[in-house]
Amino acid sequence: MEMEKFDSIVIGAGHAGCEAALALSRTGNKTLLLTISLDAIAFLACNPSIGGTAKGQLVGEIDALGGEMGINADKTAIQIRMLNRGKGPAVQSLRAQADKNAYHQEMKKTLEKQPNLYVRQGEVDSIELDGENKIVTTHLGVKYVAKSVVLATGVYLKSEIIIGKSRESVGPNGFKNSSVLSDSLKKLGLKLVRFKTGTPVRLHARSVDYDQMQIQLGDEDVRPFSYMSDKQPENKTVCYLTYTTPLTHEIIKNNLDKAPAISGEIKGVGPRYCPSIETKIVRFADKERHQLFLEPEALGTQEMYLQGFSTSMPADLQLEMVRSCVGLNHAEIMRDAYAIEYDCIDPTELSPTLELKTIKGLFFAGQINGTSGYEEAAAQGIIAGINANLYNKCKEQLVLKRSDGYIGVLIDDIVTKGTNEPYRMMTSRAEYRLLLRQDNADMRLTEIGKQVGLVSEERYAKLKQKKKIMQEIELKLQRLAKTDQKLINFCQINGENVPKENVKFRELLKRNNIDIFKLDKEFDLFDESEKTYLDFVNTEIKYEGYLKQQQEDVDRMLANEKNEIPKDFDYSKTKGLRDEAVEKLNKIRPLNLGQASRISGVSPADIAVLSILIKKKQER
Amino acid sequence: MKNKTIVSISTPLGKGAVAIVRMSGEESLKIAFKIFSASNLEISNITPRLLYLGKLELEQNVYEECLMVYFKAPFSYTGEDIVEFQIHGGTLLAQKVVEVCLKNGASMAEAGEYSKRAFLNGKITLDKAEAIIGEINAEAESELKSSLQITNGRLAEAILKQQEKLKTLLAEIEVGLDYPEETEETKLKTNIYEILRELYNNIENIVKQSESAKYFKSGINVALVGKTNVGKSSVMNALLGQDRAIVTDIQGTTRDNITESFSHNGIKINLIDTAGIRETEDIVENVGIEKSKTILKTADLILFILDGSEKLSKEDREIEKLLTNKKCLYVINKTDKIRAIEKFENEIEISALENKNIEKLKNTICNMVIGEEIDPNALVLTNERQIEVLKNAQTDLQTILSENFLSLDILSTSLKSLWQLLGKITGNTENEDIIDLIFSKFCLGK
Repeated sequence: MEMEKFDSIVIGAGHAGCEAALALSRTGNKTLLLTISLDAIAFLACNPSIGGTAKGQLVGEIDALGGEMGINADKTAIQIRMLNRGKGPAVQSLRAQADKNAYHQEMKKTLEKQPNLYVRQGEVDSIELDGENKIVTTHLGVKYVAKSVVLATGVYLKSEIIIGKSRESVGPNGFKNSSVLSDSLKKLGLKLVRFKTGTPVRLHARSVDYDQMQIQLGDEDVRPFSYMSDKQPENKTVCYLTYTTPLTHEIIKNNLDKAPAISGEIKGVGPRYCPSIETKIVRFADKERHQLFLEPEALGTQEMYLQGFSTSMPADLQLEMVRSCVGLNHAEIMRDAYAIEYDCIDPTELSPTLELKTIKGLFFAGQINGTSGYEEAAAQGIIAGINANLYNKCKEQLVLKRSDGYIGVLIDDIVTKGTNEPYRMMTSRAEYRLLLRQDNADMRLTEIGKQVGLVSEERYAKLKQKKKIMQEIELKLQRLAKTDQKLINFCQINGENVPKENVKFRELLKRNNIDIFKLDKEFDLFDESEKTYLDFVNTEIKYEGYLKQQQEDVDRMLANEKNEIPKDFDYSKTKGLRDEAVEKLNKIRPLNLGQASRISGVSPADIAVLSILIKKKQER
Repeated sequence: MKNKTIVSISTPLGKGAVAIVRMSGEESLKIAFKIFSASNLEISNITPRLLYLGKLELEQNVYEECLMVYFKAPFSYTGEDIVEFQIHGGTLLAQKVVEVCLKNGASMAEAGEYSKRAFLNGKITLDKAEAIIGEINAEAESELKSSLQITNGRLAEAILKQQEKLKTLLAEIEVGLDYPEETEETKLKTNIYEILRELYNNIENIVKQSESAKYFKSGINVALVGKTNVGKSSVMNALLGQDRAIVTDIQGTTRDNITESFSHNGIKINLIDTAGIRETEDIVENVGIEKSKTILKTADLILFILDGSEKLSKEDREIEKLLTNKKCLYVINKTDKIRAIEKFENEIEISALENKNIEKLKNTICNMVIGEEIDPNALVLTNERQIEVLKNAQTDLQTILSENFLSLDILSTSLKSLWQLLGKITGNTENEDIIDLIFSKFCLGK
């Protein structure tokens, strides 16, 4: 029988796979999405929430490029909060509790409705090359062929779940894992490493004593994730805060010999930012208690997620540990906590387009690249999808710069520096974070999304409308405020000096005690359509000096970024570079001087020498 | 493409009657006009490749006469706008001019940077590429050596300590920004501004110490002024006494004015005579006056010698005018006679004739220039670039401390640049270090 042909095949339907498949099919590629289980599509395998610090920014960026995560989160959010209010606009991030079941169902519906996209259940065993084509073979022996393939296998590669002495070869939540594909990747020349992560217990809601806990409410005045969602998010549930007790710590300390994470039974490298409770107790022995959050998994279930209580202790001990926490004395565990080990690749084998350097048309996205988190995965998924499409069409691929967004920072970090633990996005990783805010992701990226054909007319029209309104607001702020009694009173009430002559509203806005909302209230400057964007304009003007400074840093960085290194540049044949630099440069093969300068072990003098060598080569 | 404007001394250090300080980059001319002025010269009417005689402002109201020339891009060595100042020879003066350029927006040139720019702009032919690479590597290596020197020393420790303090503070702020929900763990426990003020003081100390430390290398330059017959040469002889040292090449002075040097508590003190400060019609003597004025500008201290037995004369007052805004000690000589002269705020009574208070004068000289608590083995910053870094850090800290509208994200961004700035000296600039500290210090995660 003849093989079925596609433009692209996406392997894995987690958060990376879904974005990649949608990006490909929406840009006109006949796309096959293969998943081990249709019931595991966009599965929130760990915490039932989307967003959070830095991750909220990622969701905004995925959305601005024409991705699905923000829209799906808005559809299924059951509680939403804005984190870091009062700490400055750059670090404010949305975080939503998502209905785990609805999140999966809504994403599945979106995939099913998508023209050009074929969603099928099937475990992939191998990828082989046939000239420029890739042949994908499933466990049942069915073969498909495509120009490009996106691998987004998450934590499924040879995954093992560890609970106490039990070690089982299964995928997350007991789904079937992928037991053969790893070997096929090795045959393609890839080196694999073993990482580890974990998830906490799920408790029955009725068994919790909420009186002893602190209630956590959502915010009522926040905007949705997606620039396309017009509906104000609604809070439909609450979360709770509780703590471990000295007894919890005692139980754990007395049973460390049974903890696979401590005893050395688990060899995979786990993330430092996501330690198990036993690791916390060992590493921070002097802490009297640890914070725990209780979050509902979905509206239609009694299951509660106990954030902060990830463990791989034996099941009976887990129950004893949980019951020692405040308000959990009668807790019923519905699902045990577990640790999971899995194969992933070394991301420095990828180019910043997420294409494998050694095999054209083979892309990687998500946890297989050594990252962690739904948002990090989706962010890579959409870029891999965009670039697989551009590859299919023989067009130049997209590289987001560190100054374009958190997505740029994420990808540049992993492909340039690699990672020795599951990589999590943090605002402190983004050096230009004042510019990379949640409120301007559309201004930064929608134009790019449009160029690569992923942004719909409707989304683009929205951006244009927003820019138009922005201009109107700016014009209004350029108007002069007359020094009449009203202005005098206004300044005095706000503790500001009264200007001696007429002054632009924009100048007034720069005063410490005045903001755009106060101005609007007093002078009635703006109409309804403009009010939506006041917060944004307020930030842009109040922070103008800092933003300008950071923009100058960006311009300086971009100068190096434009300095491309020829693809066939042979570092070992050059004279003047130090050996260490040659070795690193040969391994990473940076696209330009900017990327080269971020490789650890490459010095500024090496970059200066390299710039001479490139120029020399160009002139020959 | 916007290149930074770079500056450095482009003549060999220490020797020569003339030194050249060169700037290259888009901002060169703008910076030059902030510090240099000549009659009828404006930024709009300057002619490239023409020498202009004018004044360079070293400090507020302290000027140095010099020549300036402008090469317009692309007709220059680097292919960029270049401005060169030709000044009187001597390292200290040249360093001062570099410092002024830095203050006004230039950056120190990196290893081999002029040649590199010249090459990249096509001003140097291909066959010179190897030579330039050699130049870059050689300069980088010698810089590395000097930074290694401090890395082993107490200075490195001192700066590292400040950088570590900053890192701890950064980790504390950053963890609160990245983990706002972990309130137990991430509440800010320290007073940020208290730490920053302390940091400022510490860095200020290091800079001060390093600046005084350079006196241990090249000595203190002390200029003597006074009208004739006040006993200038007897004061000089009294100071030289038994400790007379052999005169060697002294940086920052033109040779023919150096009289002699002596050593006091291990510090070399160079005495520089300034015969001839008097407005005069005599052309030959006029040259002498110009020279003397330059000496007064670069001297670390001026001894204004006065005859205590006479009232202040008109001539004395003329000289006094030249000393405004300068570090100066009024030396009241001839106190063996009855005092007729008025009291001065900053004075010392001596008698060269009776050798009275000469030791006290020596101590006063050292204290006024170096300060009292200088440990000769203390921190020494040898590299000009490193001092620049610390001074920039001071300025940044001052800005941060003076801001009253700072949200945590802004504060943290400014602190991180500061941390990276100090990293130019210590070599620690990996952002991952801060993240490592966050996870080792704080207990986080689900």
